[in-house]
Amino acid sequence: MRHLLFGPLLRILPVGCLALAIQRMVFADHPVLDVKLQFVLALVVAAGVGGGSDRGAVAGFVLGLLYDLSGNTPLGLMALAYGLGGMTAGYVQSLTPDPQWWLVMIFAAIGAAVGEVAVPLGEAITGESGWIGRELVVIVPVVAAAAAVLTLPLVPVGRWMMGVKRKKWKAIPE
Amino acid sequence: MFLSLSRRRVILLVVLTCLLLVTLDKRGNPFIDRTRSAFGVVLRPFDAAVNAVALPIERAWNGIADYDDLERENEVLRDQVERMKGSEIEAQSTILEYRELLKLTQLTSRYTFETVEAQVVGDSPSNFQNTVEINVGSNFGVAVGMPVTDGAGLIGRITKVFTDHSIVLLLTDPEYAVSAQVLSTQDQIDAELPPTTSPGDTTPSGIPVENLGTTTTTSTTLAPDPLAPIDPNTTTSAPATSTSTTTTEVEVVRETGTLEGQGAERPLLLRFVDTSSSITSIKVGAIVSTAGGNNSLAPQGIPIGTITRIISQSGSSTPLVEVTPNASLKRLNFVAVVLYMPNNEAVGR
Repeated sequence: MRHLLFGPLLRILPVGCLALAIQRMVFADHPVLDVKLQFVLALVVAAGVGGGSDRGAVAGFVLGLLYDLSGNTPLGLMALAYGLGGMTAGYVQSLTPDPQWWLVMIFAAIGAAVGEVAVPLGEAITGESGWIGRELVVIVPVVAAAAAVLTLPLVPVGRWMMGVKRKKWKAIPE
Repeated sequence: MFLSLSRRRVILLVVLTCLLLVTLDKRGNPFIDRTRSAFGVVLRPFDAAVNAVALPIERAWNGIADYDDLERENEVLRDQVERMKGSEIEAQSTILEYRELLKLTQLTSRYTFETVEAQVVGDSPSNFQNTVEINVGSNFGVAVGMPVTDGAGLIGRITKVFTDHSIVLLLTDPEYAVSAQVLSTQDQIDAELPPTTSPGDTTPSGIPVENLGTTTTTSTTLAPDPLAPIDPNTTTSAPATSTSTTTTEVEVVRETGTLEGQGAERPLLLRFVDTSSSITSIKVGAIVSTAGGNNSLAPQGIPIGTITRIISQSGSSTPLVEVTPNASLKRLNFVAVVLYMPNNEAVGR
């Protein structure tokens, strides 16, 4: 537990701040189909698929806390939602230790969808606006698809951030 | 089994910590507020660095892709400005008269309060919050609950204040609600109502037409040309000087209700307080502004928008009224915070 929290923390914080700045300055201003793509969530699921569900949960927790601190959401809400997203995406490591790219994309999309749905659900539970409406039908698939695409280049960043070394071996020898 | 013991511990710890933090923050914690404020300072160089890289790329792309559209828009806006110059002078004189009247009657309105100019520096990064960040905070006297306007009308209220920046909740957010009034003159209504109504006629909700709640205001105007034809509906008061004063009776229908946001890209929804009054006579195009009052989040008279749709509900005499805000909430740049402090009950503290 200790190595999980304190080892990568020094890397998560600057990477997280940079990801958050990219989210606020680039992705928040350029919505696709009126949906703001979630770069920080993509980084969380990338950490999850690269390092497993426990590392995904920790990455989601820390990056979500940074998100909460920068915005208007109650502290811990995005941390919980992104933690769930990172954990879900990390299950790919339980299926196979060396997942193919398409499997990475599928789990990244599922993780991102879980993370994004958890936000309004959490808001509703904590007495915030609880904006659960038909918007979700558009928002969730768009965010999930974008996260699936963004995850591929972000997996090495996520691995480095969480201190996961790339495996030297292959599950199926070539 | 997907989760080993250590994994389960990590995930349980994460969930419990989140719940604890949410509880602490919801109850209001000064340490968390200070951390938020400090993190805003930490994040600033990162924002500046990303902006420095992204902005030239964005501008170059816009220059290539949107040049023609911008040129066309520029022309349309120039035309619009020219047309508005005339009505602005007229509006200014009306505002002056209105302020004078408020002073005489000792009423408060938005003109009674100072404003602080601000610039929008950031949009909410989340899909589930309609907020913007502005570059003034407590150092300019900004406080939670204060209304924020732009040139066109109300845009929202302050929900979080830091030393040098604040968060504004936009009026389209489902969490936003403000007391509002619909003002329409009787002639505006008559133009759309059936030509005659006889005593005993009722509205669709069963209310006698003669009982409709109306407010009568009297506007006094100076007749610029004494030779101008006299309107038979006007009465002439005896002037002390050589200038004649004509008094025209204008019947104004005023209805109050609560205006609520329904989410970005959706119109605002107006719910009337008195469901049995003259709401049936309110028509599309009527102006909606803040109603003011002791428990209101905004002083009286800030324009909000216009009624764009009235939907009758089956099984209810009260129609749903949709209002489109005047302000273009997607293109906010310069705004003004009205230094009006609503009472704690209205702010929800």
